[in-house]
Amino acid sequence: MAHLQVLATHQPCWGSDARRVVGYDEDALTLAVAAGRAVVEHAPDAVTSVVLVTRDLPGLEGGTEAILLAGLGLPSSTRCSVVLGGAPAALDAISTGAPGTLVITADVEPAAGAGAALLGTSGAELGAVGRSEGSLPLKVRNTSGGTFDYDDPRLQRVRGTNAALDRLALDDKPIAVAGLGAKDAASLVQGSPAALPTTGASSVVFALADALERSAAGLVTAVEQATACVARLASGSTAVLRSARAARPFPKTQLGADASIAISLPAYERAFDSKLGLQAGQCATCGTLALPPRHRCIECGSEDPHPLTPLPRDGVVYTAVSVHVPVPGLRTPYDLAIVELGDTGVRLLTPVTGGEPATTAIGDAGTLVLRRLAVRHGIPDYGYAFEPTEGATP
Amino acid sequence: MRRVAIVGAGMTPFAEHFHLGIKDLLPMAVSEAVAHVDKGFDRKDIQAAWFGELVSTDGFAAGVMADSCGLLDIPVTRIENACATGNDTLRNAFYAVSSGHVDVALVVGGDKVRETSSRATFWEWMSMTRDQAWDYPLGLVAPANFALHAQRYLHESGATREHMAMVAVKNHKNAVPNPKAQLRFEISIEKVLAAPPVVTPFGLLDCTPQSDGAAALIIVAEHLAEKYTDKPIWVRGVGLGVDRVMHQHKQDMTTFPATVRAAKAAYAMAGVGPGDIDVAEVHDCFTAVEMISYEDLGFVDRFGAAKALEAGETSIGGRIPVNPSGGLKAKGHPPGATGIAQCVEIVEQLRGVASNQVDGARTGMAHNIGGPTAVSAVTILSTDVS
Ligand SMILES: [Zn+2]
Repeated sequence: MAHLQVLATHQPCWGSDARRVVGYDEDALTLAVAAGRAVVEHAPDAVTSVVLVTRDLPGLEGGTEAILLAGLGLPSSTRCSVVLGGAPAALDAISTGAPGTLVITADVEPAAGAGAALLGTSGAELGAVGRSEGSLPLKVRNTSGGTFDYDDPRLQRVRGTNAALDRLALDDKPIAVAGLGAKDAASLVQGSPAALPTTGASSVVFALADALERSAAGLVTAVEQATACVARLASGSTAVLRSARAARPFPKTQLGADASIAISLPAYERAFDSKLGLQAGQCATCGTLALPPRHRCIECGSEDPHPLTPLPRDGVVYTAVSVHVPVPGLRTPYDLAIVELGDTGVRLLTPVTGGEPATTAIGDAGTLVLRRLAVRHGIPDYGYAFEPTEGATP
Repeated sequence: MRRVAIVGAGMTPFAEHFHLGIKDLLPMAVSEAVAHVDKGFDRKDIQAAWFGELVSTDGFAAGVMADSCGLLDIPVTRIENACATGNDTLRNAFYAVSSGHVDVALVVGGDKVRETSSRATFWEWMSMTRDQAWDYPLGLVAPANFALHAQRYLHESGATREHMAMVAVKNHKNAVPNPKAQLRFEISIEKVLAAPPVVTPFGLLDCTPQSDGAAALIIVAEHLAEKYTDKPIWVRGVGLGVDRVMHQHKQDMTTFPATVRAAKAAYAMAGVGPGDIDVAEVHDCFTAVEMISYEDLGFVDRFGAAKALEAGETSIGGRIPVNPSGGLKAKGHPPGATGIAQCVEIVEQLRGVASNQVDGARTGMAHNIGGPTAVSAVTILSTDVS
């Protein structure tokens, strides 16, 4: 039995209300951080372990957990694991997790979104009821990114969804079904749940958030191909945090000629804690903050150790430009800004994200958000971009 | 400390020299400088050479320079200091002659920018000049470095894109009679404003072209000057200044502290002030950079550049003509050569033979800023020995 202490959902701003998509600087990890970070900010110090459930991992090698924890602002000692799975795996992780667990779910395809659930000792109860694994690989992705689509919705419905739910022999009609399109879900549920914006792991959090917001209690099921998982949601008090800007189409951009941006992995590794955690080195002698951290204090010259300290993620534009000329490997136009972080006096040069290029102005306020700044020799390079506050610029 | 004189100066035209390599351009510039010495010059007199090049082309710089110019019996040293390379190369050679270790030195600058696709150049230069982890992946192309300053400068000073355009119009006009200039055509303010955007606030006509070229100076100790010429041009002051490299560490982006520091050093050595400068070649890789530099060099008050342009103070015939050669904007900008070529222009000005002659010019200045905006070199030349 888990208690849902906090739920958060996040949708990227790109695409349409019917289908949100990731921007060129987003992936499952940046979405996961966006959803998870809302929870961490709402309940600081509550998270003791993190589980990420997704089928859209940007990389299959190691390092994902470190990127996630840094983006969330959690210590690198936090237990963190990644589960390759869809909606059933997400519901299973949430309904069986221990208090202190932050379950994050993220989807890129076919629609993008993310959700996070912080399990605690208070809040609405979610108890595991049952699960059933089945194999009906109607859609297959291999490790090199190739996809195979069997494309038989009736087979999915009859021998996938229905067969899996039959095996679970539910004694009641569910109040929410995650993992399916709106039409397929509607025929299986009681009540009038909202259409879910995603069909992968994150659809579970969207379904739970919707159920809690309309004070519905009962069975919640999650389906993926021929696998299903079911849990029982009791009513209770859970904080539900929503983040979704108005949907917007991609700006008109032009991709410069192909060019690989080289990467220095020693430089990547040295910068990691500061760059991905948005942390400054703080001079032990005079307290001056340095971003990036530096051996010798920019103010007093002290060369004593400079422990990292988190920087505020709100900022104001000191100066900004729009690059219009074609640049190899990048989409133009794009905006670059030097942003002052909170009242620290610390500035950061960042790309601007989440809006129309060529609109960033001096004095604009906004937030620093984790983004995939570039893919360098195939390696995703994460860091912070400036997202102007919605409505702050035309 | 000995006084140091320029006795010969020469340069190739600045252009897209697709048909000439760096090994062609360097000997061309050196030969012109040698031929320029009034009373004749024997290359065997050269005791040491300094070569400024930003990007090595066709081999390591000092070797390419020595080999292509036939200077195998003397030491040749390469100087690289971003876009301040040219004036810094002269500065290093000056110290050798001034200190008494070398009597006759050759100072050469050159770069072969158009050796790669014009677009690839953006990336190649970026990889050299940006923090690998923090800046490089962001697409901080060369014009963006200066544009970040220019946007803040416009915001605080009240100057406009029209004022920036005045710089372009002036420098293009100056380039027309200069046979060494790359862009020898006049433009209008309307044309500058209507040009396609590059990086705001810069349109295409606010930007220097990409150029190839080389330039050379022959400098000698005071006691040898009259052996070579009756019209020596004295190197009165040299200065170099640096600043924080990453933009986020530059507290006030409406000014280039590197220039302020370099100018302060050069003025102090020369024993002159901004009011003594009759003509100046100022780093105008982008129009607004010339404006900010007026202020950093002390030619006008802070945020006074717009007014000075409106009044034509920096045009030929004005109070302090700037970039009579056409500047980087219209003469061209092969970085290693740029500062040396500025000195070639000032030598001609002080000898009264420039294509846009500033009447009665006796003291002139050459100025570079680069790095981006983290290093500046300033040279003060004069007809007057002290
Ligand atoms: Zn300190």
